Amino acid sequence: MTATDRAAADAVAEEQPAKRFSGALPSGAQWLRHQYPLLILVALLIFASLTSDAFLTGRNLENLVLQTSVAGIVALAQFIVVISGGIDISVGSVLGLSCVLSAGLFSGTSVLLAVVVALAVGALLGTTNGLLIAFRGLEPFIVTLGMLALGRGLVYAYTEGVPVRPAAPGFTAVGTATFAGVPVIGWIWILLAVGMAFLLRRTVFGRRVLAIGSRREAAQAAGIPVRTTLVVVYCLAGLLVGLGGFLLASRVGAATPTAGMNFELDAIAAVVIGGTRLRGGQGRVFGAVVGTVIFGVITNLLVLLNVSTFLQDAFRGALILIAVTLATLGRKKARETP
Amino acid sequence: MSSPEIEEVQPVDDVDRGSPGPGTVAFSARGVAKSYPGVQALTGLDLDGYAGEVLAICGANGAGKSTFARLLAGQEAPSAGEIRIAGHPEPLRDPAGAERAGVLLMHQEPLVIDDFTVGENVWLYRLRAGRDIRAWSRAGRGDDERTRRALREVGLGHVPPEGPAADLAPGQRQMLALSRAGVTRHGVLILDETTASTSEEHFLRVREMVRAEQAAGTAVVFVSHRMPEVFALSDRIAVLRGGRLVATLDTARTTPDEVTTLMIGDAVRALQRPPAHRAAGRVPALAVRGLAAGSATDVSFEVAAGEVVGLYGLVGSGRSSVARAVSGQAQPRAGVVEVNGAAVRMPSPRAALRRSVAYLTEDRRREGFVADFTNAENLSLVTLSRLATAGVVRRAAERAQVDELISRFQISGGPRTPTRTLSGGNQQKVCLATWLAAEPEVIVLDEPTKGIDVGARLNIYQIVHGLSQRDKAVLVVTSEAEEALLLCHRVLVLRDGQLVAEFDSTHASTEDLMRAALAEEAA
Repeated sequence: MTATDRAAADAVAEEQPAKRFSGALPSGAQWLRHQYPLLILVALLIFASLTSDAFLTGRNLENLVLQTSVAGIVALAQFIVVISGGIDISVGSVLGLSCVLSAGLFSGTSVLLAVVVALAVGALLGTTNGLLIAFRGLEPFIVTLGMLALGRGLVYAYTEGVPVRPAAPGFTAVGTATFAGVPVIGWIWILLAVGMAFLLRRTVFGRRVLAIGSRREAAQAAGIPVRTTLVVVYCLAGLLVGLGGFLLASRVGAATPTAGMNFELDAIAAVVIGGTRLRGGQGRVFGAVVGTVIFGVITNLLVLLNVSTFLQDAFRGALILIAVTLATLGRKKARETP
Repeated sequence: MSSPEIEEVQPVDDVDRGSPGPGTVAFSARGVAKSYPGVQALTGLDLDGYAGEVLAICGANGAGKSTFARLLAGQEAPSAGEIRIAGHPEPLRDPAGAERAGVLLMHQEPLVIDDFTVGENVWLYRLRAGRDIRAWSRAGRGDDERTRRALREVGLGHVPPEGPAADLAPGQRQMLALSRAGVTRHGVLILDETTASTSEEHFLRVREMVRAEQAAGTAVVFVSHRMPEVFALSDRIAVLRGGRLVATLDTARTTPDEVTTLMIGDAVRALQRPPAHRAAGRVPALAVRGLAAGSATDVSFEVAAGEVVGLYGLVGSGRSSVARAVSGQAQPRAGVVEVNGAAVRMPSPRAALRRSVAYLTEDRRREGFVADFTNAENLSLVTLSRLATAGVVRRAAERAQVDELISRFQISGGPRTPTRTLSGGNQQKVCLATWLAAEPEVIVLDEPTKGIDVGARLNIYQIVHGLSQRDKAVLVVTSEAEEALLLCHRVLVLRDGQLVAEFDSTHASTEDLMRAALAEEAA
């Protein structure tokens, strides 16, 4: 992000005065103003390439994509839920369950069957969350807290604490293949992110989710089917998480009982660092993607620099605090500039 | 509440009032200016207030009245100039200073904590001094009698102080906030649009209270744009326009017309009553039979296409319950609602919309529009699925509709302006336009001009009359008799959940309506 970039962006903004319409991408200058996560990421990348020679190698970058893609897909699920004004802390457990069941059910003999199982598990648990939250009026936090414990318990019960190894020969194909130099999982993540952005900005469903997250009473009064929309949101999140479970099993080649542990925390952090408002109604898919990458780069770098695993958590925690503080600074600035 | 009191809501004669400024100066503002980023809210304001006097601050929305109220209450510091309170050496800069100087501000939205009891809410400001306000502590100090007296003074004598504040009706909440004046030391009392969300009956209580404050030597500042109330209460009227003081008038020697003209800058066009437009011999667009909902019991009426029918009554008479029950916002306990001759069930606003029934809410900020949405997004909120193919919004179609609505309803701000940054009147136009874009046949308007200024009010009236010309059936819920008569062909009066009278607005007066609403005592 150089000064010339900024100048060019400003020029673009001047050429198209007020041409933008709601839902379209903001014009350059305005767009940049909201991209503090991107600036953090750029700073982080520069810092990483200066401090570690191994960072910018092709092998490490491929590794980085492999490691962040599943977390990125889970963050997308978390993103749509947070936008709707809720929160889903069961994503890690749901991912774990769909991971072990897709590898273990039917002895893991068919890849297609494994995908179907993973999606079905995710959709089932997600819809259950959604029904309880939307139709019983329960707090999303409590419902998904229950689902977190339930899901993880089922994972341990099913695996008896031992990793499950799928039998199908091609099981690891998707998780390890590359296309145009980038792992296929990475492509899947990007496609899903683009799809999510389209869903949120260009469809009736997306507009409804934003309205519900911003002011539920107004959405209700305007004739929006609030409860049905919310169930679909949680079901969609479950589907994404379920797919993430299969991809994780496929990448690792086995489903461990701890798969997806603490994913909910990373997903929430990525979404918030990406500028999404935790009480709903505002946020960008791109921000959630950048937030995930920031997390991935930090973790990757700390490993490369041989920082102890205990300190790694402290670094990540500090990063969350710094990023959300920066976000408030950015917001104040945006308000003061008329 | 008896009718002689009602009749007194007129400018009081000079006898009990004395000439302006009989008392000593209570506060004085000198060269006060306030600017926000991009907005000059107040410029060079010089204004004095006197002890024992009611000073009304009038102005259209955005004129700077509320800014002045906030500065006088020390909630914000002026950008230039200063405000001094008599007997205090320091000019006002912050809330703590204002509290020391004895300035008490009553907000437009009553500051009531739902989880506290009524009694605790009466004493709420004592928490600022770090003192206990819980019931047992008050009883120990013998404050409970004062609590009850403060509640009685604002007409809440029947409300138990130990009950939760959450149970109070909206009007009662405002009165509860006002009761704090009875237990808080103050020399200046500011009522910032305090009566905007209350009905005429509550206003009588406010008036009594203000009279008592006056007698006690308080300088009362009454911020409002409701002319009848301004003239019933004030001794002097300061008119603001565009952040400047344009005139300070002696209430006894001016007229509402003069003040209104000063407020909006040019002569108010006389509002035409709706053109008589009855579709005779046709099935009524909306028919209600034996409806029971909320406090309403057994209400029946009809609204023809092209007719504007008013539903007038006091708070708690069931007016809003009826409006919500016929538009799918709430479920009636009993009764039948017919739209174009067919009995319909409307379990949700969505179902009502399918029956071509629209409801404009009374609570604009909560239900009227989505807080984070731009004008464009709000304006297509109701009709979005009609502007989409296979769930994907057609942006050109959306844009065309939004532009058309913005120009048709003269909404200030473009499609990208966030609706919450608009003035109340423009917000209301957005809410109304959002629904009218769906071309409903039956339109229910709940307090359509609540909290909006004179100019926007005329705008809304014209829109409603336009609807009637286009053969829509309109039901207007209102707590202002004058509005009911100006806006509607027929006015139905509700009292205690029952329809008690019906008036043809060309032959009725505001007094007829109020008498009917206030029960037999009036007869």
